[in-house]
Amino acid sequence: MVSVVRRFVEETFEKMVGDPEAIFRVSMTAHELLENGAKYAVGRRAQLRVVLEELEGGGASAHIALTNETTPEHVERLRVRIAEIARAEDPFALYQALMRRSSKLRDESGLGLARIRAEGDMNLGLEVDGNRVSIVAQARVTERAP
Amino acid sequence: MNTIRPVEDLDFTAKVESGSPTLIVTLVGNADLNVKTELDRFMIAVHEEARRVGAKEVVVDLKELEFMNSSCLKSFVWWISSVHELASDRQYHITFVSSPSMYWQRRSLNALAGLATELVSISA
Repeated sequence: MVSVVRRFVEETFEKMVGDPEAIFRVSMTAHELLENGAKYAVGRRAQLRVVLEELEGGGASAHIALTNETTPEHVERLRVRIAEIARAEDPFALYQALMRRSSKLRDESGLGLARIRAEGDMNLGLEVDGNRVSIVAQARVTERAP
Repeated sequence: MNTIRPVEDLDFTAKVESGSPTLIVTLVGNADLNVKTELDRFMIAVHEEARRVGAKEVVVDLKELEFMNSSCLKSFVWWISSVHELASDRQYHITFVSSPSMYWQRRSLNALAGLATELVSISA
């Protein structure tokens, strides 16, 4: 199901965004966020929201957000992980450091979120309301010429 | 002849052709959470086979691999780390054969290669 959604996002963005790399960045982000939800959400509902917003003065901004309920422990781990990613001066170096750290780990590594930042070149944020969390990714992209 | 069982999922396949000094691994399709366990099993078997036959190189053909998620990338991270931990005379080289049309491969493979630049190379 996650890959079906990724392909749908990819095909939809192909019609609006001219840059194939930007299409990959958006669809990969949607995929990683959805798998995050599949692994850590509590309950049967997760909502993915993908928005392309035109910016004044040209260009566009892509927003991808996944909202779901999860455990308080996972909320705390998300806070720590996203803060670590947000303050990294070199996101790619952090991504590789997490890869090295994850090589012997079987549990949560945070690699998907680090990938969104490093490979997707997305800014990451977290919105928390009790046990309900939204992971929000945002980046500027180039629109397809009319 | 190798006895590594291929992965044959609806949306993903993995197989290996064994030989000495080179093993050729081919991944096709979409590597996501559905195939993570099978890919782990497969990569462990590839590593054991490479050691058994004394391979000098394992070539991984990714030209038709549409996407790989971060969980599956961890299988490669484990593999590269495992080769790196071998005594230097037992180590073998890993070559990823990529496709320029698969955008995920550009950044993901560079990140993987950066883990052990002396062991991993990328060929287009």
